[in-house]
Amino acid sequence: MNRVADWARRYGALIRNAWLVDLQYRASIVLWIIWGVTEPAIALGIWWSIAGEGQVGGYARADFARYFFALMLVNQLTIAWDSWYLDRWIREGDLNYRLARPLHPAHEAVAENIAYKARSGGMILVVWLVAALVWPAVRLPLAPGRWTLTALAVLLAAAMRFFISFATGLLAFWTTRATAIMGLHGGVALFLSGRIAPLTLLPPAVAGVAAVLWFPYMLAFPVNLLTGAVHGTTAVLHGFAGQLVWLGLWVGAYRLAWTRGLRRYGAVGG
Amino acid sequence: MPPAITAEQLSKTFRVKVRDPGLRGALEALLRPRYRDVHAVREVTFRIDPGEIVAFLGPNGAGKTTTLKMLAGLLYPTSGRVEVAGFVPWGGGPEFKRRIALVLGNRQQLVWDLPPEETFLLNRAIYEIAPAAYRERLAEFVTLLELGDVLDKPVRQLSLGERMKCELAAALLHHPPILFLDEPTLGLDVTAQEAIRRFLTEYRDRHGATVLLTSHYMQDVTALARRVLIINRGRLLYDGALDALVARIARTKRLELVLGGGDGVTAEALAAFGEVKSFRFPNAVLEVPREEAAATSARLLAALPVADLSIEDPPIEDVIRQAFTRGVEEDDS
Repeated sequence: MNRVADWARRYGALIRNAWLVDLQYRASIVLWIIWGVTEPAIALGIWWSIAGEGQVGGYARADFARYFFALMLVNQLTIAWDSWYLDRWIREGDLNYRLARPLHPAHEAVAENIAYKARSGGMILVVWLVAALVWPAVRLPLAPGRWTLTALAVLLAAAMRFFISFATGLLAFWTTRATAIMGLHGGVALFLSGRIAPLTLLPPAVAGVAAVLWFPYMLAFPVNLLTGAVHGTTAVLHGFAGQLVWLGLWVGAYRLAWTRGLRRYGAVGG
Repeated sequence: MPPAITAEQLSKTFRVKVRDPGLRGALEALLRPRYRDVHAVREVTFRIDPGEIVAFLGPNGAGKTTTLKMLAGLLYPTSGRVEVAGFVPWGGGPEFKRRIALVLGNRQQLVWDLPPEETFLLNRAIYEIAPAAYRERLAEFVTLLELGDVLDKPVRQLSLGERMKCELAAALLHHPPILFLDEPTLGLDVTAQEAIRRFLTEYRDRHGATVLLTSHYMQDVTALARRVLIINRGRLLYDGALDALVARIARTKRLELVLGGGDGVTAEALAAFGEVKSFRFPNAVLEVPREEAAATSARLLAALPVADLSIEDPPIEDVIRQAFTRGVEEDDS
């Protein structure tokens, strides 16, 4: 019990510090939130006009609206910036004091993620609630079962995106281009994770590639679970199985990069 | 009592990519990468007892920081054995890290945008320091380092000296018995340097801590450490008392004179007694072979109107510089 309390205090202190730093940068937070809303809003605008009064691939205007509002929320709750932090820590030597503390640097990263997601996710939720008051299309039924499953899928997606970002950031042990690799991953994910369009609207060949990679489990699966596009025990189980498999593989990649990278660590400034 | 720090035959070799300048060099490096081994630390052996303050000296790139990082468990040694506080640093885990502090003068752990107290509170949680102990230690550090006015100012508004004081406080809140300090006084003014030296001595006296520090400021070394380790190009050149180093390296003594009796004494007259390092009546400094210092002094007193005379070792900076360039030989010839 004591151990649990110690860890709660550590995470409490890390999250508190992250929020205190955030308060120093209020303007940049507002800009990030605007970006978080703008990207799905633009995608929605495009699909809105393409759909017209009819349907595209089974999606009518209201379906697109629900999809992109759900995407906006799920993206903010699962996004991870860790590769940028790690790249800086490794290249500029800020990893040194973190390695000398009795706390694995990943805990600081996890706490930062919790702090960021609680704040940004909360704000996006408010945006959605306000929109839902005036716009019936973006309202979702209050089905506790679906929300619970979505929460679980969001948690798994957040964990997966965290390990992807962390493991990619660790490439800075070997190359100065770690953030460029993460940028490339983000570019591919724009299409294959469902950020630009629901995956069912992608050309079959592209959708086929996406289906065998981790991208759909980062965003599309939890989003579709929330909107109700994924339903039925088989589809739901298939989605969770995919998330667990890819999460496991990325945790493995992270562990490999961490142990190998530390051995290689040149510790800048020696 | 077992030593606090043991290093045996410790070596670290980095493999670095080499490339020729220009576009061709860049292309070659891409197609046929070539590597060169850099021996940052070579077969370094020493032991440090609990409670000792030892200065680690050497020119830039000598291997000081690399050794410090291996001792702190940040770098994996290429070969050799290390033990710090009874742990092998690399695999020591959290229990080892609770026993050390690593302060890097050019890197800070203080959160830039927040007051230092926020970093202290974070470390209280990370190191699981009980609230009563935290309050007591913070009060102690606030008094010793005169931090009263800076605790609630954002770190970015603090002076370099204030920041380093806070950095030390943050690094020592968990009362580590072993301190690794890399250039703790780097870039600080004289007052701040002195405050940090006083604090380190006080901390060692109160808590019996072992301190290994690197510094380019000789005042740090003379004020804090009786024992020095001198390293150059990765090799340990000297391990021993500072006084003994001076006696071994310095082949000369300085005779500092204050002359009396008008301005009849010339530089030529002084040159007959030794090498004139400076002369501006009535002050003169002569350098003479170490073993002749006493005899020459007697001759000077007899031959010239000397109002005052003192025999000094050459400045410690000169001694260290000689040790870096010429090495430290037993032979005085």
